[in-house]
Amino acid sequence: MKKRFLILFFVVGLTIVLAASSAIAERLVVFGRPLDLYFYITQNLSYSLLDKDKYDTVKGFQGALNNLLVEAGYGATDQLKFYVSAGLTTDFMYKIREDGRAWNEKLFDQSSKNLYMDHKYWQILKEAHATWTPGNFFFRVGKQIVKWGETDGFRLMDQINPSDSRRGFADVEFETSVIPIWLFRAEYYLPQKPSWLQSLGFEFVFNPNADFIPNQGPRTGNDEGGIWAPNALARGPFPFGEARVGSTPMDIKEPGSFNSDGYEYAFRAKGVIKDAVITLNYFYGRDNDPVLLTAPIPPKITVASDGRLILHPFLEGKYPRLHFVGGTFAKDITPLRVDFLGGISPVIRLETFYAFNSTFVNNKNAYERYDEFRWAVGVDWGVRIPILNPTNSFSISPQFYQRTIIDYPEINELKGLKKNNYTTTLAISTKYFHQKLTPSVFWMYDITNKANMYRLQAIYDLNDSWQFVLGALWLHGEKFGKGFQLFDNKDYLFFKVRYKWG
Amino acid sequence: MKKVKSFVIGVLVLFLALLMVKPMVWAGEEYKVTLEEWAKNKKFFDDPRPFLKELHPKKILPPDVYAKLTYDVEAMKNLWAKVVGFRAPEVVGKIAPEIKPGHYTYKDKEKYPGFKELMTPEYYKRFNPGAPPFAGNFSEIRIVPTRQYYYALPVAEATQKNEGSSKLDDNGILKQGTYVAGFPFPRPSGKLMANQLIYNYLYRYFNYESTCYALSHSEGFSKSLRRDRHTEGDNYSLRLQGRVTMEPYGWFDERAKKKGEDKSYLVTYTAPRDYVGNVVSWSIYLDPDKFNSLLFYVSALRRVRIMTATDLQQPGGTGDIIFADPEMYGQQLSTKIYPYKCEVISEREYLVPIVTDGSEYFSSEGAEMRNFQFERRPVYVVKMTQLDKNFVYSFRILYIDKETFLIHAIENYDQKGRLYRSAYTLYSFVDEMGMPISSILNLIDHLDMHSTLTLMFYTPAPWIGRKHTELQGLFAKGK
Repeated sequence: MKKRFLILFFVVGLTIVLAASSAIAERLVVFGRPLDLYFYITQNLSYSLLDKDKYDTVKGFQGALNNLLVEAGYGATDQLKFYVSAGLTTDFMYKIREDGRAWNEKLFDQSSKNLYMDHKYWQILKEAHATWTPGNFFFRVGKQIVKWGETDGFRLMDQINPSDSRRGFADVEFETSVIPIWLFRAEYYLPQKPSWLQSLGFEFVFNPNADFIPNQGPRTGNDEGGIWAPNALARGPFPFGEARVGSTPMDIKEPGSFNSDGYEYAFRAKGVIKDAVITLNYFYGRDNDPVLLTAPIPPKITVASDGRLILHPFLEGKYPRLHFVGGTFAKDITPLRVDFLGGISPVIRLETFYAFNSTFVNNKNAYERYDEFRWAVGVDWGVRIPILNPTNSFSISPQFYQRTIIDYPEINELKGLKKNNYTTTLAISTKYFHQKLTPSVFWMYDITNKANMYRLQAIYDLNDSWQFVLGALWLHGEKFGKGFQLFDNKDYLFFKVRYKWG
Repeated sequence: MKKVKSFVIGVLVLFLALLMVKPMVWAGEEYKVTLEEWAKNKKFFDDPRPFLKELHPKKILPPDVYAKLTYDVEAMKNLWAKVVGFRAPEVVGKIAPEIKPGHYTYKDKEKYPGFKELMTPEYYKRFNPGAPPFAGNFSEIRIVPTRQYYYALPVAEATQKNEGSSKLDDNGILKQGTYVAGFPFPRPSGKLMANQLIYNYLYRYFNYESTCYALSHSEGFSKSLRRDRHTEGDNYSLRLQGRVTMEPYGWFDERAKKKGEDKSYLVTYTAPRDYVGNVVSWSIYLDPDKFNSLLFYVSALRRVRIMTATDLQQPGGTGDIIFADPEMYGQQLSTKIYPYKCEVISEREYLVPIVTDGSEYFSSEGAEMRNFQFERRPVYVVKMTQLDKNFVYSFRILYIDKETFLIHAIENYDQKGRLYRSAYTLYSFVDEMGMPISSILNLIDHLDMHSTLTLMFYTPAPWIGRKHTELQGLFAKGK
C-alpha cells in the first residue's frame, strides 16, 4: 500500500517544489537568442459511476492518469526556430490496484504492458522540428503535427496524424491524443494577388514513413485494452448465450520504414476571400486505421471470471490506401446577428471530401472497395442570456456529419457501416467569475447506431499555473454491439489537477 | 528502428547545419527590440532603470530609417500649435493654481484640497499607498510643468492640408470617402464636436502611425492583489490608410483602398503556457457597419479558426477589457451597431500621469505605481450614451487630451449606472519624432474587483507588411 502511493506522492511533491521555485521561471538566453521552456503536469482520477459489478469495469476508482509534458522552443533567428516536446504518460491505477482481487480477476492487470506507462520512443518524444520561414516560404521538418479540417470531435479531413484514443473519449489532452509523426512540410504564400483575394498559400506535406504509427484505439479484451476495452459480446451457442470478444492476436501488414508503400503526399491551397477561410485539399496515403479480416484459424478460447467464454479470434489486415480530394469553408455570417440574442453572429464551418476506392470489410469477411463521400457542417454561435450570465455569452456549437458509401452493396453489408451514416454533436459553454470558471456540456449522438455520449465538465483556472477540472461522462447505445453500446458500462466521474509552468 | 535512428540523426545534422549557416539565412530587415532585450533592460516590478533611454529608437533603428522618421522639433511645435490653435502650457494652471510643480505625497491631499478637483475622481481615489482592491495606486507623485506635445511633421502637414475635407453626416457619422489623412478634425467645434473627437481618436497617429512592432507584459491582480494572470507577447501592427510617415503613403495598397481597410494586427503570446503558440490576426475596417475580421491560430488544435468579431462585449486579455476596446476604445460610431449619443460635457484641465524615460515602475508589494510624474493637461470630457440597452455599457466617460486627441482615461458604466470597467493609458513621447507612445495601461474591473497592469514597448517598423499580420503570419508564428 505504502509502495503504491509513493510514486503518486513523489509526483505531487515534485510539483509543489517546482511551483514554489521562482529560480527556474526565468526565460533562458542561449547565444543571445531566447530559449523558452515550459512544462505541465496533470493528475487525473476517474471513478466509475456504475453501481453494478460488470466484467468490463471495476467499481470505484479506475484510472489515475498522470501526464507530464516538457517543451522547449529556441528561436535561433527570426526565421529559424526549433521546437522539442517530450512527455510521460503513466496510469498509476496499475500500481494502486496491483493487488486488487477484482482488478486481477478481470485481467485488467495484464493490460499494464500497454497502458501503465507509455514507453515507446514516439510516445515519449512528442514533437521535434525545425521551422524556417524565409520571405514568403515556410518549411518545417521533423516530428510534427499537421491538422486539417474544421470540425471538432470527429476527424474528417484530419487524416495526416494518427491519434491515441486508448484511454477513452472524455478527458483527453491534445498533447496526448494527437500523435506527431515525421513529416516534411513546405508552404508558399503569394505576395501579389488580386484585390479580391486577401491571402493565398500553398501547402505541401510529405510523409517519408520514417516510422509507421497508426491510430491507437481501445483494444478488445481487458488484458489488452484495460478499463476502456469495449464490452464486445458475440451471441451464439455459448454458456449464458453469449461470449466475450477478448484480446485478438493481430497480423497487420504495415508499410516498412521509409518504404515507398508508406509514403504520403498531401497538398492544400488555403486562402482568405471576402473574410472567408477556404481550403482545397488533396491527400494520397494510408488510412491510419486498419481493415481487419478474421483469419481462417479457430479462435483461442479462455474463460472469464464471470463464467463467460472469452473468444480470441486471430485477425489479419492491412492499412489501406486513402486517397481523397476535399475542401473546407468557414465564415462569420454577420448578417445573421440578432440583437435580442446578444448581437453576435454565427460562424459557419463546412468540411467535405470525396475518397476514391476506400477499402471496407463486408459481413462475409472479405474486402470490398467503394468510393465514399464525407461532409460535415458546424456552427459556432454566441448567445447572450443575461439572466443566466450577465458578463459572458454562451457559446453554442452544433455539428452534423454524414458519411456515405457510394454504390453501397445490396447483398453483403459492410461491417460497422450503413450506406449513410450520421452523427451530430452539440457543445455549450460559458465563463463565470472573471473568466475563471468554464462549465460546459458536450453531447454526441450517433444517429445511425442510436448511441449517445454526454459529458458535463467544469474547468476552474485558479491562476495561470493551476487548473482544476471536474466532470462526468455517460455513454449509452441502443443497438447491440454498435457505437457507444460497447461502452455502456464505462460511465465515470473524473477530476483533474493541472499545474503549468512557463 | 535502425532506419528511424539514422533519420533522426540526419534531421539533427540538418538542424546543426541550419544553425551554422544562420548568418546566411534569408533574413529580412526586421529591426526591433526583442522580449529578451526588453526584459534585460526592464523588469516588470521594482525596477527604476530608465530603460527608454537605453532602448531609444536612435539605438535601435538603422540610421537611414531613423533619419527618415525624425524632424525638426521647433518646426513640429510651431506647426502643431498652428493646427490646433494653442499650446498646452498656455491653457492650464487655472484650477487649483496653488498646486505647483514639485513633489507631493498622498498625505498632501489634506493640505491641498485642490487635488480633488484637479484629478479625475478615480485618480484621486488612487492617490494612496498601494493596497487592495486594485493595482495602480500611487502614494507619491512629482508634478512637472506642462509641456507642449505635437505630432510628426508629416502628420501635422497632412492634418493642416486636409482640414475641412472630413465631413460628418447629420447623425455624426463620418461620410465615407471624405477623410484623406491626418487628424480629421483638428479644431473640433459645433454640435457634433464630441463625434469629431471620437473620430480624431479612431484615426490617431500614436505608436509610430500604428505601424510598429510592440511588446507587452501584463499582470492581473485579484481583489487581494494576488497575481493571478500573466501574459507576455508581441504584436505586429500595420496601418493601411492615411499613412504619412512611412511608405507607401496614403493607402497601403490597392486592396486596402478597395476594401476600406484601416489597420491589421497580429498578436502572439510567449506566456502563459496555455497561450503560447496562439496567434490572433485582426483586420479592422473603416466602414462602421462592417464588422472586423478575426482569425485565430489555436495552438491546442494546430489550426486556424475564424472567430466572430461581432462579440464586442466579450471580455478579453486578463478579463478587464472587452473586445470592443483594443487600445482603450475601438468602437466605430454607427447608427446600426450599438449607436451612441456623444456630447462634450466639459473642457478643463486635469492632472494626469505620464511616462518619461522609463524609470517609472510598479512595486511588487501593493502593486503601486512609483516614480511617476504628473502633468496638467487640457482635456475634453466626452460622454457617450449607448442607445442600445443590449450593450454591456449604458454610458462611457472619456478624458481626451485637447492637444494630442489621445484618451487618458475611460470610465465605462453598466446598464445599472455602476462604474463597471475603467482604463488608463500613460504615454511617453519621442521628441524628435513627434510621437506619443502608449507605454502603460492600467485596467480595472470595479464589479469583479480585478485589475491589470500592462507595460508596453513599441518600435517603429516600416518593414511590417501584410505577410506579418495575415494568414501567413498566423502559420509562421503559430505553434
